[in-house]
Amino acid sequence: MNNFLNINGLENYFFIITKVFFISCSFLYLIFALIVVKQVTSMSKSVTDKFNFILIVFSYLHLAFSVILVLTMFGL
Amino acid sequence: MNRSKDLDTIAPDDEVIVSKPIKKSTKEVSPKKNPEIKENLVKEDLTQKIYNILGHTKSPFSAFLVRPKVLTFAERDENEEIFLAVRPHWINNLSWITVSFLMLFVPLFFKYLTFLNFFPSQYQFVAILFWYLITFVYAFEKFLSWYFNLFLITNERVIDIDFNNLLNKHFAEADISMIQDVSSSVKGVFGTFFNFGDVLIQTASEINQINFEKVPNPEKIIKLLKELRDLEEIKNRGGNNHE
Repeated sequence: MNNFLNINGLENYFFIITKVFFISCSFLYLIFALIVVKQVTSMSKSVTDKFNFILIVFSYLHLAFSVILVLTMFGL
Repeated sequence: MNRSKDLDTIAPDDEVIVSKPIKKSTKEVSPKKNPEIKENLVKEDLTQKIYNILGHTKSPFSAFLVRPKVLTFAERDENEEIFLAVRPHWINNLSWITVSFLMLFVPLFFKYLTFLNFFPSQYQFVAILFWYLITFVYAFEKFLSWYFNLFLITNERVIDIDFNNLLNKHFAEADISMIQDVSSSVKGVFGTFFNFGDVLIQTASEINQINFEKVPNPEKIIKLLKELRDLEEIKNRGGNNHE
C-alpha cells in the first residue's frame, strides 16, 4: 500500500485528506461537547440534586478534552 | 377543720395547711380549636404514614428517594413537599454499563487491524483519544438520561420529568385529586427478581395518563397514591374525618 501511495506523491494527498477529515470531525465533536455542557447546565437548573455540581464538572472536563483533541489534530 | 394524723411532730389541734395546686397560667389549646396545630398533627401523622409505607432511603444515589431533602425541581411551588422521587431501577443501567466497559477494551484490538499500521503513531494516538471520548460521552449521556428521568409524588401532584437524548425535555403533571385509576405491572425475570415495573396513572386532567416506567417497588407507590387520594378526599369533604 505504501508503495502504491508513493507513486506520483499520492501519499501526501492521502494524508492531507485524512487530516482535513479528522479536523472536521473534531470540530463537530467540539460543538457536540458544547451542547453537552449547555444541556447538563439546563438539566441541573431544571432538577437540582446533590451531584449536579459533579456532573457539570464532568461535562466541562469532556469539553476540555475535546479542545485538546482539536489542538492535537492541528499538530498532526 | 383539717387535723394532722402525724401526732409525734404536730400537736393534735394544730391546723394543717394544705398547699393548693397551682393552676397553670398557660392554657392548653386543644388541637380541635386551633386549626394550625391540627394541621401540624395531620402533617406529622402523614409523614409517619409515608415512612411506614415507603421506608427510609439510605443512599442518595438510590432510585427510590423518600422525602428527599436536597432534590428539587424548577416548577415546584413554594409550599410543595416532595414525598417520593423515583428513577427507573438501577438494573436497567446494566446494558449500557456493560457496553461502555467493553468499549474501553476496543483500542487493544487496534493493533490487529493491519491497515491502521499504515498511519503514523500520532494519528493512532488521536484515534484512540477520540475513541475514549466517544466511550465517555456514551456512558455519560446514558447516565444523565437515567439520573434526570424522574417521577415525583408531592403533596399536590404527580410529576413525570424526562430528558431524551439530552436535547428533549418532557414534563407532565397531574393533580392528586385528578387521579382516577392506578395500575401496575411487573414483567419479566428481572422485573420479578428485582421488584420493578410500570405504574400507570389514569387522570381526569388534560394529560390523561402518566406512566412511571421500570420503577422499583410499584406496590408501595400505589399504596402511597391511595393514601394521598384518601387524604385529598377527606380534605374536600371538610377535613373532620381524619381523626
